[in-house]
Amino acid sequence: MQFAHFVLTRAGMAIVTLLLVSFIVFSLMEMVPGNCAERYLAYKNTQGQGITVEDIEAEEKRLGLDRPFLVRWGSWIGNVFVRGDFGESCILRVRINELLGTKIWISLGICFVALLFAYLIAIPVGIVSATANNPLANNALRFVSYLGLAMPNFLLALMIMLFSTMVFGDSLTGLFSKEYRDAPWSLGKLMDFLSRAWLPIVILGWSATAFALQTVRALMSDELGKLYVTAARARGMYGRRLLWRYPARHALGPIINSLGFDLNRVFNELPIVAVILTLTEAGALLLEALARSNDQQLAGAIIFMLTAAIVALNFFTDLLLSIIDPRMRRSVMGG
Amino acid sequence: MSEASATAQALADQRLKEAYFTASQTQLVWTRFRRQRAAMVAGAVLVVLVLMGLAAPFLSPYDPTIAGRDKDYQFGAPQIPMFCDHNGCSLRPFLHTLERTRSIETNFRWVTKVNPEKRRYVRFFVEGWTYHLFSVELDLPGRAFDLRLRGIELRTHLFGIDEGGIHLFGTDSAGKDIFSRTLHAIWTSLAVGTIGMLISFFLALIIGGVSGYFGGYIDGLLQMITDAVRTVPTIPLFMALAAFVPPEWSAETRFFFISIILGLVGWPTLARRIRTHLLTERNQEYVLAAQLCGASSGHVIRRHLLPSFTSYIIVDLVISFPYMVLSETALSFIGLGLKEPVNSLGVLLQAVTNADVLLNYQWHFIPALFFIALVLAFVFVGDGLRDAADPYSEQHR
Repeated sequence: MQFAHFVLTRAGMAIVTLLLVSFIVFSLMEMVPGNCAERYLAYKNTQGQGITVEDIEAEEKRLGLDRPFLVRWGSWIGNVFVRGDFGESCILRVRINELLGTKIWISLGICFVALLFAYLIAIPVGIVSATANNPLANNALRFVSYLGLAMPNFLLALMIMLFSTMVFGDSLTGLFSKEYRDAPWSLGKLMDFLSRAWLPIVILGWSATAFALQTVRALMSDELGKLYVTAARARGMYGRRLLWRYPARHALGPIINSLGFDLNRVFNELPIVAVILTLTEAGALLLEALARSNDQQLAGAIIFMLTAAIVALNFFTDLLLSIIDPRMRRSVMGG
Repeated sequence: MSEASATAQALADQRLKEAYFTASQTQLVWTRFRRQRAAMVAGAVLVVLVLMGLAAPFLSPYDPTIAGRDKDYQFGAPQIPMFCDHNGCSLRPFLHTLERTRSIETNFRWVTKVNPEKRRYVRFFVEGWTYHLFSVELDLPGRAFDLRLRGIELRTHLFGIDEGGIHLFGTDSAGKDIFSRTLHAIWTSLAVGTIGMLISFFLALIIGGVSGYFGGYIDGLLQMITDAVRTVPTIPLFMALAAFVPPEWSAETRFFFISIILGLVGWPTLARRIRTHLLTERNQEYVLAAQLCGASSGHVIRRHLLPSFTSYIIVDLVISFPYMVLSETALSFIGLGLKEPVNSLGVLLQAVTNADVLLNYQWHFIPALFFIALVLAFVFVGDGLRDAADPYSEQHR
């Protein structure tokens, strides 16, 4: 009963956050100079047809752009929430759902796997380095993980491309090889995808790993000095059993809590890596929409979906935490 | 004898203890900081880089913009001055002369060849292109914001060469000197980071301060907004904001606008930390004591709460600085941030995406090394400062 109450409260908070985010995203889209109607007609203009102010106004009316800002936001968000419909792209004139379709899932998948990869390395190495009393190894580790932070992903991607071009003669770019690019999904296409997707995953995971390593190490060394660890040791616990059953469990709480923001950080770098590796997924599409075509509908939809994924992840990690640690429930419900 | 040395020892001990107990906060932090070798080395590197950025026009032999291009040496390899060649040694470093030839052997194209018989000597403190130290030029939309300070006009440069050009890091596709550009880029990146940092710091202080000091409903509301802003991935947010910059704005205006955007997006993390700190501190006994003595809220905030976390704030600023620089670089790299003729590290690295450059002219990567050094130095100094500012760090070890 108490747990159900917690889940409902938390879900309500997630929805409010999502609404706020959608408002931010929508306002951003509004601030882009020009609107969709002008962009529709600008295309016609390039085809040799003259357009007038009346044409633009008529188009605005058709698209509902003459309504007040808040009403438009309401109808946009209503369509998104109720029907999962993001409307039509301003430039490409296709339904955004069709355009994004599998691409957004590929992007989300790449980011999730990169995050998973980061923690698979960071948790064991971080725990070992917090307990090991070897200043040389610790300093080396510190340097490597800082380098992960200081070396931007795009530089790493470029270096790998340079290396692979010189050694293998293949630049390893793109997500699919030529013969599968437009083919429907099949086992062969999946295998081909996996054989190419590892590179963006490694590149995105690289800096995430550096960051995660720092966090795990710091949390672990905090927990190690606490009295309950000494008490457990006094009761005769030692070695890996002690480490995993006591301090590691406590240290994992904050890490699970911050997973959502880690995903945020991985998303951040996706568009840039996508451009260098010429990936055809949502990150590249976002950059295209923002930098070149000013397609506000498309950009808004992508940013909103990415953010919704983060909010959802935050929601699930909170649920997970509240199952592991009952104190979490109290902090949300305030009693 | 031994008794005398024992008393001397005790006296010295006492003096040390006295020095320790009477030391000011700054002295303690500095002592602890000095003990960390990595942080000290990083600090030295940082100082050198900042000085290099400050003195960029003096150190760079050529104008970093298109005006300083060497049209006889495009995509030129780095030229390292040498002291010895097959004709013997000289104390003054020199380069060999470059000759441009065109003949039937070169298929009638202009080809640059090194002539190892002729030397060109490096000169120091030479007259070169004109620059202005401490000059500020702001050209924002609207006349009222224009600001023009000429500064000091100078023509002296640290080094130059007899004739032709000296390009320590080579040249790019237009013949611009990469060494000069790198130095100016360090300065730009630092400036963007500083402006962005100041803006986000100001916002964070106000929002986090209000939220933390008043608590209750105000806190709840502000935290909701902060969390919402934090959830949107920053680079897409930067990209969306940067997309508004009209293409007709000048490079300097663009530079200013990008710094402001970086500041507007960067505040949530710091605001949250200030809030958390205030929430814990305002329930401490010393705050209660001050309030019982009849101190006003303003007095409590200024005299008691702010000093309790200035060191945290400084550390936080140093740690988040590299993120500002990284964001600027990423933004410029994808073409939404700064643009030429402003030189920033992101602008310089943009050239590397060109496959031709990537495969044949790898000296374009040299600015990346400076960039990595800059970020690493900041991170290490920030880390050292954090340990030094934490009064309990000694008890842990």
